[in-house]
Amino acid sequence: MPDTPPRPASARPGSARPESARTDPQDMALGASHTLNLPDFCAARAVLAVVLIVTLTAVVLTVARQNVALRFWLDLAGTSLFLLWTGMGSAAALCLLRVRLARLPLALASAGALLGVLAVIALVSMGVLWLGSSALLGPRATNLLLPESPGRFLVSNLGIGLIVGGLALRYFYVTGEWRRNVELQARARVHALQARIRPHFLFNSMNTIAALTRSDPARAEEAVEDLADLFRANLNEQRSSITLKEELEVARIYQRIEQLRLGERLRVVWDVTDLPMRALVPGLLMQPLLENAIFHGIEPRPAGGIVTVSGALDGDMIGLTVRNPLPAAADAVHAGNRVALANIRERMELLYPGRSSVEANRLGDEYIVRLRFPYVQDPVRNSAL
Amino acid sequence: MTQRVLIVDDELPARERLRRLLLELGRCDIAAEAATGQEAVRLAGELHPDVVLLDVRMPGMNGLEAARHMALLPAPPAVVFTTAYDAYALEAFEAQAIGYLLKPVRAEKLAAVLQRAARLAGPQLERLAAGDPARAARTHVAARLGEQLRLIPVADIHYFAADQKYTVVRHRGGSDLIEDPLRALEEEFAAQFVRVHRNALVHVAALAAIERDPAGQYQVVIRGLDERLGVSRRLAGELRERFRL
Repeated sequence: MPDTPPRPASARPGSARPESARTDPQDMALGASHTLNLPDFCAARAVLAVVLIVTLTAVVLTVARQNVALRFWLDLAGTSLFLLWTGMGSAAALCLLRVRLARLPLALASAGALLGVLAVIALVSMGVLWLGSSALLGPRATNLLLPESPGRFLVSNLGIGLIVGGLALRYFYVTGEWRRNVELQARARVHALQARIRPHFLFNSMNTIAALTRSDPARAEEAVEDLADLFRANLNEQRSSITLKEELEVARIYQRIEQLRLGERLRVVWDVTDLPMRALVPGLLMQPLLENAIFHGIEPRPAGGIVTVSGALDGDMIGLTVRNPLPAAADAVHAGNRVALANIRERMELLYPGRSSVEANRLGDEYIVRLRFPYVQDPVRNSAL
Repeated sequence: MTQRVLIVDDELPARERLRRLLLELGRCDIAAEAATGQEAVRLAGELHPDVVLLDVRMPGMNGLEAARHMALLPAPPAVVFTTAYDAYALEAFEAQAIGYLLKPVRAEKLAAVLQRAARLAGPQLERLAAGDPARAARTHVAARLGEQLRLIPVADIHYFAADQKYTVVRHRGGSDLIEDPLRALEEEFAAQFVRVHRNALVHVAALAAIERDPAGQYQVVIRGLDERLGVSRRLAGELRERFRL
């Protein structure tokens, strides 16, 4: 169970660091995706597991072999002795290689780990053969316990090692991926809760509506309807993805409510006509970005400003950009901003593993957030649109 | 007795609603409305309202800062803060026994708070600001000019210099006297001003060069002004290194 990730230290107000997508500790955790996820073979627990697995394998091999010349127990003793040496040797090798392997890409790291295990098997096999050729064990033992054909012995050991090692790596990879996904989902849920519409917005909207009920009842009515739609979209956690058209509509509803309150200070330019409206996107993608842009970029400026939302289809990737002016005294990126961005990043990663990006930068006196993710069409509602 | 009320909020619907509620209460005159902190301070000095309904969160000068400036007026108004949601502020207002209203404001709460609205003392507000987790420095300093206040944007200030009981503010529009002690200013504006001498704080952007006068005394040249301030020997090296002068 992952705990709530602590706020990165750089999110303190006052620390003047622009949110840059690749320096956040949370990004590092996400960036470490799709690597070989081996257990720590330097730890006693893993070594114990190796001993158990090796012993069980020895039992299986002995039973399957049904060696008539040797009795069961003797054969088991010899096999487990051999396997224990290879098992402990492999654990030691992986323990030593662990740090290096973690830095390599998945394919290389897997190959490296396999090679390490095979090298250990070869060494132990050679050791056994050497023991057999020396006179240490006496002639009787040589006959019964030690392999007759050195070549076959080595090759079959390496073959078994390759298959079992490959299976084990696959197992570690799958469990690692599974754990990572569970973690991501749990974290995204936590962040979704944190990124819920700000209470500040709710009460300000209520105040605006209270003012409008008498001065402009029709607009007050509209505002209540908009607010209801917005909260419905916010509470709708089941639908992890909606069409871009629906998502932009939620963002526009949000804009309408803020517009009542901020009046001419808020201008939003929508440049989204090039976007495929039937694209599937994670729900609440644009609205939190717009909310951030208004909260951090427009509200603190007495004269207000322009928020630009633009988007384009680039091959099979969709790019979305939200830019807002920075307040005069802006040298701190608010923690709230980071929570919203981290949340969006995690949800996009869940939906499009390894194929999406969220970047946030200060450029001159503008704050720019860029999203990129693959264009996936809605298969069900395709015809309806 | 009718009270004269100044309404301050950056959002038009919020002002409209307060105005309507006040008119319906019937015991008040609306002296004026202001959309910014600066305007509020100016109007408070000109119109002498009895009560100011002051929004806490406003762009530029926020409500808290506006209240601190108003407390310098010869006859400061009573202040009631209004806020939509601000967990910190509410706790602090309770602790300092400062009147506040939650938005959307209820008519009966407004009536009640107007009856016991009290003037806020400067120290009380300073304690409030000191406990603010955001620790925002003021955007302006205020100089008393007879009945009025002159608000000087901090960005326009070249330097502060201690002058016996007062502090001289040398700014783009001339110089004025304020009552804030240099020590407090140094702490509040630590991000923008630097001490060059026991009795002077200079805006970092105004540091042009460090020179030695014929007597060998270090001096800092103020950018945009033909003025020099003495620099203590101890600080000269430090300043040179920090600002590459």
